[in-house]
Amino acid sequence: MNTILLTLLVFSPLLGMLLMFLVPKTDEKNLKMLGFLSTVPALLISLYLYIQYATGTDLSRFSIKVDWFRFGNLKSYDPNLFAVDYELAVDGFSLIMVLLTSILATLAAIASMYIKKEWKGYFMLFLLLEIGMLGVFTAQNLILFFIFFEITLIPMFFLIGKWGYLEKEKAAYSFLIYNGLSSAILLIVIMILFARTGTSNIEALRHIMTVGGVSLFAPISDPMKYALLIALLAAFGIKLPIFPFHTWMLRVHVQAPPSIVMIHAGVLLKIGAFGLIRFGMGIFPEQFRDIAFIIAVLGVINLLYGAFLALIQTDFKMVLAYSSISHMGIVLIGLGALNEAGIQGAIFQVVSHGLIAALLFFLVGVMHERFGTSKINDLGGLAKILPVTSGFLLAGAMASLGLPGMSGFVSEFMAFLGLFKEEPVLAAVGALGIILTAVYLLRAVLGMTFGKTKSMSFEGISEIKGIEFAPVLVLLGLIVGIGVYPAILSEPLQATLEAIMLGIGG
Amino acid sequence: MMESAWLIPLFPLVSFLFLLLFGKRLKEAGSSYMGMVFTFASFVWSVFTLLDRFQAPTYKSEVSWLTIGDVQLTAGIEINQLNALMLVVVSLVSLLIHIYSKGYMQGDERLPIYYAYLGFFTFAMLGLVMAPNLLQLYFFWELVGAGSFLLIGFYFYKEEAKRAAKKAFIMTRIGDVGLLIGIILLFWQVGSFEYDKIFQAVQSGSISAEMITLTAILIFVGAVGKSGQFPLHTWLPDAMEGPTPVSALIHAATMVAAGVYLVAAMFPLFSASETAMTVVAVTGGFTAIFAASIGLVQKDIKRVLAYSTVSQLGYMMLALGSAGYVAGIFHLMTHAFFKALLFLAAGSVIHAVHTQDLEQMGGLWKKLKITGPLFLIGTLAISGVPLLSGFFSKDEILTAAWEHGNHGLFWVALIAAFFTAFYMFRLFFMVFTGESRSQQTKVHEAPAVMTLPMVILGILAILSGYVNTPWFGTFLGDWLTEGNEYLAATGHMEAPGWIMIAATAVSLAGMLLAYLIYGNRRISREGLSGANSTVYTVLYNKYFIDETYQFSIVALTRWISLFLSYVDRFIVGGLISAVTATVQSLGKIGSRLQSGQVQLYGTIAFFGLAVLMAIFALTGGYFG
Repeated sequence: MNTILLTLLVFSPLLGMLLMFLVPKTDEKNLKMLGFLSTVPALLISLYLYIQYATGTDLSRFSIKVDWFRFGNLKSYDPNLFAVDYELAVDGFSLIMVLLTSILATLAAIASMYIKKEWKGYFMLFLLLEIGMLGVFTAQNLILFFIFFEITLIPMFFLIGKWGYLEKEKAAYSFLIYNGLSSAILLIVIMILFARTGTSNIEALRHIMTVGGVSLFAPISDPMKYALLIALLAAFGIKLPIFPFHTWMLRVHVQAPPSIVMIHAGVLLKIGAFGLIRFGMGIFPEQFRDIAFIIAVLGVINLLYGAFLALIQTDFKMVLAYSSISHMGIVLIGLGALNEAGIQGAIFQVVSHGLIAALLFFLVGVMHERFGTSKINDLGGLAKILPVTSGFLLAGAMASLGLPGMSGFVSEFMAFLGLFKEEPVLAAVGALGIILTAVYLLRAVLGMTFGKTKSMSFEGISEIKGIEFAPVLVLLGLIVGIGVYPAILSEPLQATLEAIMLGIGG
Repeated sequence: MMESAWLIPLFPLVSFLFLLLFGKRLKEAGSSYMGMVFTFASFVWSVFTLLDRFQAPTYKSEVSWLTIGDVQLTAGIEINQLNALMLVVVSLVSLLIHIYSKGYMQGDERLPIYYAYLGFFTFAMLGLVMAPNLLQLYFFWELVGAGSFLLIGFYFYKEEAKRAAKKAFIMTRIGDVGLLIGIILLFWQVGSFEYDKIFQAVQSGSISAEMITLTAILIFVGAVGKSGQFPLHTWLPDAMEGPTPVSALIHAATMVAAGVYLVAAMFPLFSASETAMTVVAVTGGFTAIFAASIGLVQKDIKRVLAYSTVSQLGYMMLALGSAGYVAGIFHLMTHAFFKALLFLAAGSVIHAVHTQDLEQMGGLWKKLKITGPLFLIGTLAISGVPLLSGFFSKDEILTAAWEHGNHGLFWVALIAAFFTAFYMFRLFFMVFTGESRSQQTKVHEAPAVMTLPMVILGILAILSGYVNTPWFGTFLGDWLTEGNEYLAATGHMEAPGWIMIAATAVSLAGMLLAYLIYGNRRISREGLSGANSTVYTVLYNKYFIDETYQFSIVALTRWISLFLSYVDRFIVGGLISAVTATVQSLGKIGSRLQSGQVQLYGTIAFFGLAVLMAIFALTGGYFG
């Protein structure tokens, strides 16, 4: 049962990092090429896993579990007690997250062509970040999860702080403080669980909490369970982010280089959703059911708050930042609905928003490279000089506002379908967000592309070209693919969903 | 043919994708022929499908699309009478517009994109009318909206086009949210999006009466948005910023009729709720007269036609709300032909004189020898002059309203018919009679590629009424309701003879009045615009509806946004500053404790240990 495939998957970027040492740090071209190539093995392995899964292979075949370290000397008493193993595995849900991560990492590596300096350090950190993300989604115990979670923080801090725009340092610190806080809360939760149950294995914890019948090292009372769940909600809520913990991510969206925002909006925010589903819903299903309504309310607040603020932003990056908050509201709405439609919608939204945000931020990069600005009022009439880029931008906006035939529609639809069953009035209020989303996206995108060309100096600026097409076409292809035939995403999720529903007892 | 009907929308989709990718290389002629050939294929397939449907029963085929829990959502096609008819109407008008556009849009360097968008729209519209379930309908419903958005914004460099495109998308989306909610609520009642299952559930009474009313009205909200009914009508006249052939196709003949189609397709649900039916009828009747009154004074040829469209769509809604299922669909079909004709003829006029301002036209009858008579045919048809198509369908609607007992609405519709005849002939006389006020000296008739589609539509505008007349037989009505248990009582009704006479009389009166004012000018125009200046101002400014929205909803939204931005900056921001300040001061206190005095450290360590021991003693080691 032990195979090294997942280990290879998670640590494959390490090979690229080692090879980086051999390339001189001024050799821009080769560093960028190597950076890109280093993300390819992980992509190939995750594609291989998806194909294996699609052709009927049991994913548990790829699990790995090796003794790592243990606390105390209880081996003779119970070999599993207080042991921390090195254990990786994938199920349908994490497979999808891994695939999303590896695809976006490769595309972001392409988008890193706009990085202007110190490529060696940049790609080292970039690859380390990828290891962290892949590890987060495959780790099978909380301690390993936490280690990978922390691995994502450090490179992110430097990537923002060094390669970002004007106020990059402030953004980097803001990122670090908030996420540090989130980590601290998470660590407390993990430690309490570990100390009281003697295990940090997710499956084992799930079993202990939902089935029971296991004599615990120290019992966990019901109030404690609620406290732990709320702590988890806070920890992952900062990450997602949930209002009012969102200010750090606005700064990151605006100040970090576009390639990093692709990763940040595409994958890192989704760790919050992943954590809520895996740990919040998975380990504390009964308690989660009790606070589901609050989560749905938070979701509607996020959705509308983000949408209203996106409406009056003057910088396209800010529009997208608030739009991310708004779209994460849909994840919460789906989770709060707590039925098949809602949870499936939430997971779809995680993937869908990952792809769409990556697409839009890549296009921000394309425009920033050419115009040096993403202010809506500085641009205008771009469709005249850059018809193809503008077309892509419009397609991205349409995807984001949930046009059918694109992934955003499926996820939005399912999340609302779920919530309308449980809380029709709340859902109807949330549905206002569907209108507002169209308003702010069209206002921003048409403001940049339609109307009169703002400045003559835009003449002669080149259209999107060459390798720049790759990320756009891949992302659009995936967005439309999921939108037209969502079964490619829903099939792998069914087993995970059934397990969750079983836990909730719905 | 019905088994392969799923190909019908795919032809224009292929055309769209192909033109998007290779349009530039195909050049102007290549891309227009590409579009025409593929639409022609759709049309031929639709005709065969319709012929097939005459003999065979309704065909339905589905495949699995998405699983949600235990529910399998499906995608597929359904060919029933209504769908088959709509397929032919849509593909025919689309084909004619494709041909016409070759002349009208000649010389536009973005012609391949134009044809690509036309293909996309046609694909979406055909997909919409074939959908066997509400979810799929919604899917294409939105795509149709996107196609319309792209085409309204085709001249993207014009500020007006940008605004109009945005407005169209947003206004219809407001309606769409209603539709979406209605669909979802119905789903949780029935457990399915399928039409059949919904109708069965409605009939078996497993849905409460309130729920039927609520969902029907929510679905109707979607139709209100798409079909430009009051109060969501304001986008439709602005949509005239798009190229004129687009106005003919989308904003007259097909897409705006989708709302009517939706209500017709969901008719068994609507007819189960008296309240919902009344809402539909009243909205339709009100819109019919409301828009017609605005149309009386507009100065832009396309805007008059746009308000006329809004008004005629109101007629169709009135028909459906008065249980005139056949009347509504019949008028939808005849209207598609004569309104498309009117728009294309108007396009031909604009093409000739390069203005849309009625004040700058006149005396074009002699110069536009083909367009003029065709425009007259369209005008006669829409005015409900006997023997033309509009006469029969309008008569059906008036009959339905009367027979259903909506006498008030009947009189409203009759007055609206008078208005219609008046503003249409006002348009006709201002454009074609009198002296030329145009700056343009060289006025040419349009090329054959433009006149041919107009001639075909002209013939249809005259003849299409004869499929359902009280004199020769109600073929359409019989066929549409045949074998459909839900529509048993909605076919043709025996009309009191005086309705037909009254309808003819009001339309002739409208014509006469228009003639007296704009034809031989016996009555001064000032009498209309000058004397009742308040009325005129209100009408000319479309009852200030746009302004009202601007100062209410738009302003409110902006105000909320600004308010929240202050919340974001000061309350959320302030909270964060407070937290940082607390942490900082804690840090300062902590650093003050680092005094280097071992005694102090010892005291603190001892104190800490004491607290831990106390906790241990009280709780036995663990909290909670």
